[in-house]
Amino acid sequence: MSHGHTARLTRRTLIAATLLAAGLAASSATAADQALIDAARKEGTVVWYSSLIVNQLVRPVAEAFEAKYGIKVEYSRTPAGEMALKLLNEIKADSVQADAFDGNSAFFQVMPLDNLVAYSPDAAAAYPAELKDPNGRFHAINLAILTTAVNTSLVPEAEWPRTYDDLLDPKWKGKMAWTTDLTPNGPPGFIGNILKVYGEDKGMDYLKKLAGQDVVKVPASQRVVLDQVIAGEHQLGLMTFNHHSVISAAKGAPVVWLKMEPLVSTGNYVGLLKNSPHPNAGKLFVDFILSEEGQKVFQAANYLPAHPGVPAAEPTLKPEAGHFKVTVITNEEALADLPKWTKIYKDLFQ
Amino acid sequence: MAGGTPTQTAAARPAAAAATVRRKRVRPAAGLRPLAIALAAVLALLVIPPILSLIAMSFSDTGSDGAASGLTLAHYAELIQDRSFIAVVFNTVVFAGSATLISLLVGGTLAWLVERTNTPFKRLATLTAIVSLGTPYVLYVMAWLYLLGHSGPVNQLYRALTGSSGVLFDPYTLPGMIIVEGFLWSPLVYLLMAATFRMANAEMEEAARVNGATVLDTIWLVSLRLAWPAILALAIFVFIRNVESFEVPALVGIPGNVRVLTTDIYLAVKEFPPQLGHAASFSVVMLVLITGLIALYGRIARRADRYASVTGKGYRPRPFDLGAGRAVAGAVILVIFLLVLALPLMALIWMAATPFVGPVSVAALKNMTLANFRAVLTAPTYLTLVTNTLTVSIFAATAAMLITGVAGWLAARRQFGGRLIDQLATAPLIFPGIVLGVAAIDLSLRLPFALYGTIWLIGIAYLIRYMPYGMRYAYSGVLQLHKELEEASAVSGAGLIGTFLRIVAPLLSPALMAGWLFIFLIASRELSIAVLLSGPRSQVIAVAMLDLWQNGQAGELSALGLLWTVLMVVAASLFQFVERRSARKTFG
Repeated sequence: MSHGHTARLTRRTLIAATLLAAGLAASSATAADQALIDAARKEGTVVWYSSLIVNQLVRPVAEAFEAKYGIKVEYSRTPAGEMALKLLNEIKADSVQADAFDGNSAFFQVMPLDNLVAYSPDAAAAYPAELKDPNGRFHAINLAILTTAVNTSLVPEAEWPRTYDDLLDPKWKGKMAWTTDLTPNGPPGFIGNILKVYGEDKGMDYLKKLAGQDVVKVPASQRVVLDQVIAGEHQLGLMTFNHHSVISAAKGAPVVWLKMEPLVSTGNYVGLLKNSPHPNAGKLFVDFILSEEGQKVFQAANYLPAHPGVPAAEPTLKPEAGHFKVTVITNEEALADLPKWTKIYKDLFQ
Repeated sequence: MAGGTPTQTAAARPAAAAATVRRKRVRPAAGLRPLAIALAAVLALLVIPPILSLIAMSFSDTGSDGAASGLTLAHYAELIQDRSFIAVVFNTVVFAGSATLISLLVGGTLAWLVERTNTPFKRLATLTAIVSLGTPYVLYVMAWLYLLGHSGPVNQLYRALTGSSGVLFDPYTLPGMIIVEGFLWSPLVYLLMAATFRMANAEMEEAARVNGATVLDTIWLVSLRLAWPAILALAIFVFIRNVESFEVPALVGIPGNVRVLTTDIYLAVKEFPPQLGHAASFSVVMLVLITGLIALYGRIARRADRYASVTGKGYRPRPFDLGAGRAVAGAVILVIFLLVLALPLMALIWMAATPFVGPVSVAALKNMTLANFRAVLTAPTYLTLVTNTLTVSIFAATAAMLITGVAGWLAARRQFGGRLIDQLATAPLIFPGIVLGVAAIDLSLRLPFALYGTIWLIGIAYLIRYMPYGMRYAYSGVLQLHKELEEASAVSGAGLIGTFLRIVAPLLSPALMAGWLFIFLIASRELSIAVLLSGPRSQVIAVAMLDLWQNGQAGELSALGLLWTVLMVVAASLFQFVERRSARKTFG
């Protein structure tokens, strides 16, 4: 087993290195409008409320932007739901402090779209329709691919579940866990996927059977669920991020993500707030983060860039290069159906 | 006992005079009214707006976009309509009551041994309390779940010894919750009880011993009886805290399907949009409940004079000699140290030093790494975070103890407005962190000056949140001071303010210092408020911890937590050193 890990690790490092070199050569592929740059420089600062992890992404993105434009990025890190609460209060008091934000669908459940600026920079043209708002009020900046992970030292390869139906095998009763995060990245996303794939009736049938399997609820993030799987508390982790499994496996952890098709794909979106203190700097920042240059910062941090032209550091993590099917849960779908999926979760699993 | 202490000489002279005016008592003097009114006004200003905001939240209907739209009673209806309401209430009472007992037993025993006896390992006991208070709850709970978990060392050992494939102990159960919660709060009990015991007059214990009482008799008949009002106050306080606690019900209860009253609240605020109305309605019910408990406690405290043992006579004799019991006492301290501190700390070190969280094994030893510590120490932003955090915590602790020192005295002496002041200072106990956070954002944005986005807003929110704890420390401290000291001061011509500053404040200082330390330690790692109130220019360490927790970097989080704990222990030791010196000046 350790042999396989080493092989994968070397391959990954190699790929990352090549991509980085390629990225440097093709830098500044997009040139933002000079008038916007000037106006932004006059404002001098951009305030970014982020839901990303500071050490991994917020600071690297901020530093890259500052280096390119000489405009200071002030950031504050808040989970998406809490961020929306905070911003709603700022809007209500007519004292918006942030220019740009990023958050997953949970953010948009709380934040009415009317409060956001419609802005589609040139860089956004490269993105497929399912990753952006037709009116330009949000664009995906990175993707999350969610799937089942298995503890390889507790479960031999021959016994790994291959399909969603395999999860109903009595041998998994009480041995599976998932987060209590009520977003498309948690149980509601799983439920949405099942209903799409099996249809309403058969889907509900499946979910009722799954509820009988006593899936353990872990009141923490998807990463914590995965850590508990690695530690052997559970054998399977449902709705875990595939890149987390790869990062841990590279350090020697006994874990593998499974291509249980279709996997779930969701987005993390960037947007601009109306009446913000630095509107031009905000636009320039969105420009940057959607550009190939900005997206390479995500790649370097081992995240999945949303830009179709920027592969992941480990390319097989994205469906095109990894050859697996996904159900894309768009922000619109999440907005429309999340309450319904959440209700099913509460009725069956909580 | 021979060399008179400053207090003794100051108070001894007028003691005889005081005896003759004993009947007159200290009347609510006119000079005190402005002070009481001013204090009540400050407290009201801090506490009432968030309470109003809370009540408004509990009645407001949340529209699909998360904005408030109209009034509703639905949140209260939901609270009662819960299918398994009776079972949940039963679980809550068992959970909170048993955990309170464990905290009292562990913390109280330690405090008595350290302050009243000649037991060995005194420093170890204090260290246990301070280090575990300096450790973030999330980490502490995580460490225990790791230790007791299905694949943790306890069950691993059990499987190795018996050859079975099952588990000896499942932590995700009601007993598991009780044990973790009980340990979580025993340092609070220790610090509070230590202040109580330190100030209690040992003469009566000595008298009992001289008259032939056994050690156990003495503890039962004298030590415990004297500390009774303090213990009761503490029990009510810890019980309330346990009823409204979130960490253990969420992290241990939800995976194990054990539901208590706060489980729903936790899940409600985690929904999108967060069901703040549901959480707020629960808090309002708690508020009513706590008002009742405080009233009950007031009735007990009314006769508290009987328990005051710090009088004008000299005291502070040598500690209680345990004789052959010393070895037993030492063993008790060691066991508590092992359970409350050493084991969870070792689990954290293990998690911090391994690249991923795996079972304890020899094979994993060769993977040991300092990478997690390196990652924390080389991350460039931590210095600002540490400075901000210390500023905010020191501000909150100092302001809280200044306010509650006076408030506790007014309340315990049932001076003009004392009851109201007590209620006001205790009320914030019921705010779930996120509800107080939302109220603070809402209120600060309406202010004409810029408080929002600064670290001072966080400081004020911490002050409001932790004032009730300061109040308990100050209140039980005052109850121990016999009124004759203040009467003597009054008879000698000192004004009330002078009496407070020169007699009460110095004698109260051990309790106030213990309270300061406690608030300082817990404020520095508060998560829920900090997350909402931190702006780009007001980041605190807790936000970084939440980052790591949400991202599940258990190793790096453990490393940051351990380094933070070390820093807190250094700060606390410095503080204790200063405190001991000043206490020596007051008490001899």
